[in-house]
Amino acid sequence: MNGPLKTTTPVAPVPAATIVTAKTEPLPFGRTKQAQEAERALNHIIDDFDDNPKAMHYFYDLFRRVYCRGESIAAAGIRIGTTCIHAPEELVYAMGATPVRLCNGSYHYDQIGADFMPAKSCSLVKATLGMLCSENPVPRVGKLDLVVNPTTCDQKKKASAMLQEMGHPVFDLELPNVKESEASRVYWRRSVRQFVEELRRVTGRKLTRRNLKAAMARTQRAEKAFRVLDGFRRASPSVFLGKDAFLVVNAYFFDELDRWCEAVEALNAELGERLEKAIRAAQKKAPRIVFTGSPPIFPNLKLPLLIERAGGVVVSDETCSANRMLYDMTAIDEWLLNDMVDSLADKYLKPCTCPIFTKNEDRRRRLLELVTKFSADGVVYQAFAGCQVYEMEQRSVAQTLNEKGVPMLYIETDYSPDDEGQLSTRVEAFLESIKTRKRNRA
Amino acid sequence: MKSSLESVAAPALQRSSVKNVLRDAVNGVDFNRFRFWLQIFFFVLLVYGGYAGINFGNSLPTFSCGYNSSGRPGVCYLMPLQHQLAMPWPVLFGYAGITVLTGFFTFFLWFIVLNKGWCGFVCPLGTIQDWITGLRKRVGVRFARYSHAQFQTLSWIKYVLLALMILIPLGIGAGYVSRDMSAPFCAICPARMIIPLFAADFRQFMVDFSSPTKIAMTALGATVTGLFFTGSFVKKRFWCFFCPMSAFHYLLSKVAFFRLIKDGGKCTRCGDCYSVCDLQIKEIADDVKTPQIMMDDCIVCLKCVAACPEEGALKASFAGMTIFESTEAGFVKRMEKGVNS
Repeated sequence: MNGPLKTTTPVAPVPAATIVTAKTEPLPFGRTKQAQEAERALNHIIDDFDDNPKAMHYFYDLFRRVYCRGESIAAAGIRIGTTCIHAPEELVYAMGATPVRLCNGSYHYDQIGADFMPAKSCSLVKATLGMLCSENPVPRVGKLDLVVNPTTCDQKKKASAMLQEMGHPVFDLELPNVKESEASRVYWRRSVRQFVEELRRVTGRKLTRRNLKAAMARTQRAEKAFRVLDGFRRASPSVFLGKDAFLVVNAYFFDELDRWCEAVEALNAELGERLEKAIRAAQKKAPRIVFTGSPPIFPNLKLPLLIERAGGVVVSDETCSANRMLYDMTAIDEWLLNDMVDSLADKYLKPCTCPIFTKNEDRRRRLLELVTKFSADGVVYQAFAGCQVYEMEQRSVAQTLNEKGVPMLYIETDYSPDDEGQLSTRVEAFLESIKTRKRNRA
Repeated sequence: MKSSLESVAAPALQRSSVKNVLRDAVNGVDFNRFRFWLQIFFFVLLVYGGYAGINFGNSLPTFSCGYNSSGRPGVCYLMPLQHQLAMPWPVLFGYAGITVLTGFFTFFLWFIVLNKGWCGFVCPLGTIQDWITGLRKRVGVRFARYSHAQFQTLSWIKYVLLALMILIPLGIGAGYVSRDMSAPFCAICPARMIIPLFAADFRQFMVDFSSPTKIAMTALGATVTGLFFTGSFVKKRFWCFFCPMSAFHYLLSKVAFFRLIKDGGKCTRCGDCYSVCDLQIKEIADDVKTPQIMMDDCIVCLKCVAACPEEGALKASFAGMTIFESTEAGFVKRMEKGVNS
């Protein structure tokens, strides 16, 4: 949080007083380009659609406060930043700390972060680096006591040392490259235990059966709320739009856990009513899309928004910024500390469909299942330019979907708004072709 | 998947018929508690049923131990089988063959009803192991696991025991092996010593000094019983992994009515089923191609079904009819109960 831009040596934290006096911020945050980027995205999310659920206003307001006005959302106590969904948050909560997911979706930070990475690199990694090298980054999550960096893709791996150079205390959570083998399970369980040790060092607390159980009760509530929300997306005609679903899970990155749960439960209640009253969020024949690939993170909801503004509905997704973050739940056989930690570890490795692993059978099966379960008509595959692993999996995913007669649109893009016009033409054409297919079949 | 677009509603709206209500009640059951009580019922039946004059015959596919002579409501098939196979060969391969076949057929009929559910729900020795596990949990001791390599090696033992259990009696019948080796598996089976204990019969707690063979066999039996107690304290269902009855069941399991079915398409391979599996069966989580997912070590305790968060990914079916399946709601209910316990 504290190293100035492009510093090569770690610097000591700047005392709070210095920030107030010496920090030169010519414009109030709300008028910076960065805030305007968020404002624009949020306006599209809210104003381009009629009749948004009332309970969504909690999230709209949250994003407006955090991204457009730059309000602080720093949690009290020890804060643990994570750069990936692989860091078991239950453990962080159990030890009295608060996790905050740092993956960033801002084009502003993408440009700043470009200094750290080769020209053709993933926007997400660049934006996260850009955010973390800024003096007072948005979302204002406060000074981080530890950044947990799971060793996933090459870019995230190499970002680790850079984060360290910026002055962040970094912990590399070692993730295997293969997830099917028994060796990888053993290895990962050991890594998670090392993470527990590290947390113990940072927080000074001990992981116990009791505090882990209490933490799991909290995250379980979130998972349950998410699953209910996810269930509503099966309804046809749709009662809930994908752009809102992305926003809800994006809020989970930094929002206070219990407050988030309450907001989602309120949303679920409202969606239940809307379903009964048959209040539709989209047209009856709107093409239903499963979104996969590189994760849309606010303000970069470019592609989901394009789909839904063009009359499609993102009914489900296979991305780590939404479905994959909260969908999987942990079963515990014996509520003893060892079994709980092992089972949690398994949840963070085994069902993961991240393309960094050697094989992607699980991802392909998952996509087919989502298409069936959510009665989808097609798949939109987003790959951030420079996210090699997603780019490399395009072929096999396309082939699998093709075999089952599911049309797929592959889009390579980044955080820049430049390609919006071109993308909207492609998305519209794709949705049109789906509509034609549906008409011909009917 | 396209035609029924209109009928696909969120789960919240799918509650109407009596059948649905009943199905939801079954799928949302507090499974471990249900099983605990069902096991007690079967335990009482198989250990004390004899006192109530119940007799299910001599071909039960579970450890209704014959040495519990007054309490048993029927006899574990392995005991008569070993005695029958030890008949002199001319007799065995003559008219007595009919007796052997009848016994086997009766065993088979019993077996196909519950499949290996006999192990997970009925077997008294299995139930005792679960009680020992419960004790360990109370004490707060973690359970042990085999490494994958150990698992694969040890998994053969039950087949070796099954083969010996058949070959040694045949050897006796042919005159190659001493009669002191009769019913060799019963001699080393922990049930012989343990089950009669519950009917206050301590007579099996001895080493038979009548011949060197008997000394060896009964001493081995006592050792195995000792191992049984220590093993099942640290390892869930320690004995079942080595049980020749389990191997025998597996050879016949493909035709049984009661089945464990997996829909690989719905599986996310999250491993929840594997992490609750008492027998450490990896395939239950990793294999997404085999619908009949019951493996040789499986005891069909159905804990995996109760621990699966995916709708319909795992199910228990009887003669093609689903009787218990994994559901999201059931999973959440059970886990909430666990985390708040």
